[in-house]
Amino acid sequence: MMKRLAKSRGLRRFMRSKIAMAALAVIGLYFAVAILVGVFRVITPADATVRVLPSRYPGFLQRPTLDKRFEVAQWFIDRVETKLNFAERRKTDVRPLLDELALVERTVAQLSPERLRQLIDEAWEVSDEAGEGFDLRDDLLDDLDDATRELASHRDPDIDTATLRPVEELRAFIQGKRTEVQASSGEIDSVLTRLEAVVLRIQPLPTGWAGMKYTFRTFLGSDYGGSSISINAFYSIKVAFQVGIVTATICVFIGTVLGAAAAFFGGWVDHTVMWLVSTMSSIPYLVLLAVLVYMFRGTYFDTTSNPFLSLVPLYTAFCLTFWVGTCRVIRGEVLKIKELEYVQAATSIGFGRFYILLRHVVPNATHLMFINFSLLVIGAIKSEVILTFLGLGVKGQPSWGRMIANGQQEVINFAFWEIGSATVLMFGLVLVFNIVSDALQDAFDPKHVT
Amino acid sequence: MWAYVLRKLLYNIPVYFGIILLMMAALRVNDPVNNYLGKHPTPEQRLALEKDMGLDQPFIVQYVRFIVHIPLLDFGDSWKYEGTTVRERLIRAVPPSLSFTVPTLLAAAMISIVVSLVSAYYRGRPVDKTLMILAVLGMSVSYLVYIILGQFFGAFWPREAQWSLAPFAISGYEPWIGMKDVEGGGSAFFFSPTTWVTYCLLPVIVGVIVAMGYDTRFYRAVMVEECTRDYIITALAKGATKRKIMFVHMLKNALIPIVTRVMTTLPFLITGSILLEMFFNIPGMGKTLITAINDNDFPMIQGFVAVFAAVMILTIILTDVIYALVDPRVRLS
Repeated sequence: MMKRLAKSRGLRRFMRSKIAMAALAVIGLYFAVAILVGVFRVITPADATVRVLPSRYPGFLQRPTLDKRFEVAQWFIDRVETKLNFAERRKTDVRPLLDELALVERTVAQLSPERLRQLIDEAWEVSDEAGEGFDLRDDLLDDLDDATRELASHRDPDIDTATLRPVEELRAFIQGKRTEVQASSGEIDSVLTRLEAVVLRIQPLPTGWAGMKYTFRTFLGSDYGGSSISINAFYSIKVAFQVGIVTATICVFIGTVLGAAAAFFGGWVDHTVMWLVSTMSSIPYLVLLAVLVYMFRGTYFDTTSNPFLSLVPLYTAFCLTFWVGTCRVIRGEVLKIKELEYVQAATSIGFGRFYILLRHVVPNATHLMFINFSLLVIGAIKSEVILTFLGLGVKGQPSWGRMIANGQQEVINFAFWEIGSATVLMFGLVLVFNIVSDALQDAFDPKHVT
Repeated sequence: MWAYVLRKLLYNIPVYFGIILLMMAALRVNDPVNNYLGKHPTPEQRLALEKDMGLDQPFIVQYVRFIVHIPLLDFGDSWKYEGTTVRERLIRAVPPSLSFTVPTLLAAAMISIVVSLVSAYYRGRPVDKTLMILAVLGMSVSYLVYIILGQFFGAFWPREAQWSLAPFAISGYEPWIGMKDVEGGGSAFFFSPTTWVTYCLLPVIVGVIVAMGYDTRFYRAVMVEECTRDYIITALAKGATKRKIMFVHMLKNALIPIVTRVMTTLPFLITGSILLEMFFNIPGMGKTLITAINDNDFPMIQGFVAVFAAVMILTIILTDVIYALVDPRVRLS
């Protein structure tokens, strides 16, 4: 079957399409990541939940705002100080407590408690200075706001303009305040830079190999719980491939067996299969999903944290719905092939029906199996997001669906990193699969209308 | 003609019974009473609910009884919202769904047909290629992302930034057409397009954008396929202009598959888009179903599923009939 496919004209036509080859290469890259994660355990689900940064730290090389920087610096100082105070009160060794504060590779500096205390005091001093800077800036901003509002009331006919300052004066005032705000922001910036330098002495960035790992963990920012978005997003590649390949394999298998049997044997087999097909396709997709959510609620699969078994409801939902399309296509093709001369010839020689079906009919529908496989992978990856949103999806490990569903809350706080990274990675994968299935269709089945 | 319709109906009745059978069985895999009352209900509570839905009867009795009650839409009372029947809640959920699904369907169909016509007219040229690349790119983004970003940039952000032009509500729904009680008795007809724009236009826009990618590609493929037919070559040979061929000869024939495709999306009118309704908090059919699932409201779920499946089957029959009407090549016998 494979050998015949390898020699076919369609495959040569497919290989000639440069964009499809590029897309295949990209799929290869994604697949390599999936193998690294899934087989070699480069990233474990535990890595995805561990804290690497303060919560909602911006990613994509975006610089945090002044307020965010101040908040983050205070967060770093505060948690070290809490542990020091705790150890002092209980008279215990502070080192194990400080080790709990490690952000994976980024540990608290190996200094004596006294030295740390000194650094913290220094940091609080700088922090107070920064706080004063912020107060000053806030006052300036308030003044600016008032002046802007006053300027706007000049245009209001209900207000007596005599009580207001003249327009020119206000304009000049606003201009002056704007430059002052800018200057004070610059001031705050320099104070914050000093503050961050102290924080780096308390909890320095790792260097060398550990430093590279830490950069990888942090370059896409963090979510609400402070866990790494990049780790989550890359782990999800494995989940996407797992969901896509398992579903597509099962569905193509069921669809081919039922479709080919229905078309080839006809009679009651055909009637039963077609009844099943029309029954399954008459249930609205999302309604079926909703019923499955209800069916699996509280069962073992719903509560388990086993990364494979917890996906069973998801596979069930996909396999119940997706085989229908493949079955229809294969049935149509087999109906056509059945009437061809070589099948009649095989029958006249006296080959058995099963032999003809397996040896002569199904191999000639292989291209449809491949096209459907590719389309089903896309369908599964995209539907996983919707299912996870409905509560039937992935549990106990990160997935793009979970990230996008979380992202809804994050977006309201202007934190786009979570939904952004999930969308970009998923977009890439779905796009290349789209391109490959288009190219497959053009090469093997050019007469087909999508 | 009528014989054809009747035959289609008769063929689909066993299919419908099959769906109901599957769905009823699936809904009983997990004990519905336990689902609703938690792990340890008192025997009286249990008995009351079981009596209410006839769950103490054998499955076959329940099945027959349920089938008999479907034509009357009599699915019992909601467990969660005592005193309301499932039928009431069902009917109440229809107008919100329709008020954004009908415009979405119409707008998506019209815009996609126009875009695909343009694409097919310039096929192989840069315009066509750009449009098709855009369609593939659009198809590759998740539905949820469109909704979340649409809601953020369409409604949330303009409000946060206090723009003077922030026409859309972030979520929610209010009736915009119908009858309402007037003070002092009687009722009056009211119609307010601005309310519709506030609550429904943003979901419509998001829905259209999502549908565009798939529809445009399909319609273009149909049209390009139609362009290679012999009658087009004949028309070209006799000297008709390209534009005339596109709009007069080809469009008429290409409309056959297009009508079929639009018909297949009709159940969407009633089922509503569950996701759009969830995010925009529109109390339509989809959201009602999901709420019922989250509340473990067994009678509601069962009733909704039966209605959804019936609507789906009726559309499938309607599609077949309309297809036979517009395409004279399909034999009715």
